[in-house]
Amino acid sequence: MLASQLMDTRALLHKQGVIFAYSGYVTEPVLSGVGEALKQKLAIDDADTKTLRSVFAVFVEQMQNIIRYSAEKAQASLPPASEASALTEIRYGILTIGREDNDYVVCAGNLIERGDVDRLNTRLSRVRDMSKDELKALYKEQLRAAPEVGSKGAGLGFTEIARRASKPLEFDFVNLDNNRAFFALKATI
Amino acid sequence: MRDKLDIEGTSRTPAIAFDFAGNHLKITGESYPEDVTEFYGLVFGALDAYLSKLGKGTCRFDFELIYLNSSSAKAVMMLMDKLDAAAKKGAAVDIYWYYDKEDDTMQELGGEFGEDLENAKFHLEKMPD
Repeated sequence: MLASQLMDTRALLHKQGVIFAYSGYVTEPVLSGVGEALKQKLAIDDADTKTLRSVFAVFVEQMQNIIRYSAEKAQASLPPASEASALTEIRYGILTIGREDNDYVVCAGNLIERGDVDRLNTRLSRVRDMSKDELKALYKEQLRAAPEVGSKGAGLGFTEIARRASKPLEFDFVNLDNNRAFFALKATI
Repeated sequence: MRDKLDIEGTSRTPAIAFDFAGNHLKITGESYPEDVTEFYGLVFGALDAYLSKLGKGTCRFDFELIYLNSSSAKAVMMLMDKLDAAAKKGAAVDIYWYYDKEDDTMQELGGEFGEDLENAKFHLEKMPD
């Protein structure tokens, strides 16, 4: 029973071409570890340098989006006394890396506030529909601009993902309840 | 002012080799730090102190980066801005951007940084094999 249940889960992922799957709380050391394994797998696959770097770059941006922005989090009520600056908050998300024909695909999903759906939808639609030259111009503009409000990074992540992708980004939202929605983003390289 | 700043590279942070006495500064490797503000804060602090004393002197800065994430790109732009500002004040600044010939993304990115420099001299070159 146990083995067949887990084997079913594995078979489902295999059928979708998934090579790596992580679902759970994501931390920076998780990013480092999965990232190292991903690099090794891409080297074994004999992926060319540009593909290897692009898949890795998209993976890093997607993982960091979950770490920084997922609306599903576990929080310690008080910082531990010994290490006041230690991380007291971890965020939940799902990320898969797989193959589709000759391409690599990196998919990430996490909960977001429903109030953020429109803003994300607008930003992602914009980068999805841009040409490589337009993305280059937007990237430069965002590099120069001050970080967006509520942003913990340079606000460049989606643009970086779109530049590294070989096909237009795909994304979707499913409302869960009055407050939250599930957000998924797929990049093909 | 300190003579040099040496920080060993890790899988997520580049090696910093700032030889201030020899006016040759170098950053090498991959950059996707856990905390980009903390890592580059230290680098900016040392660079600012050096550039403020440079006057009309010469300085060479080498970027030999394999990969940088989007938050590091912002930090690299700030490094370029500091170097360009020193050049504007009269320093002779040469910036070399070395790219892996098999990764045109980094070549393109270097070109984009170079386009924005008004005073520092920019060189876009392949990494030696």
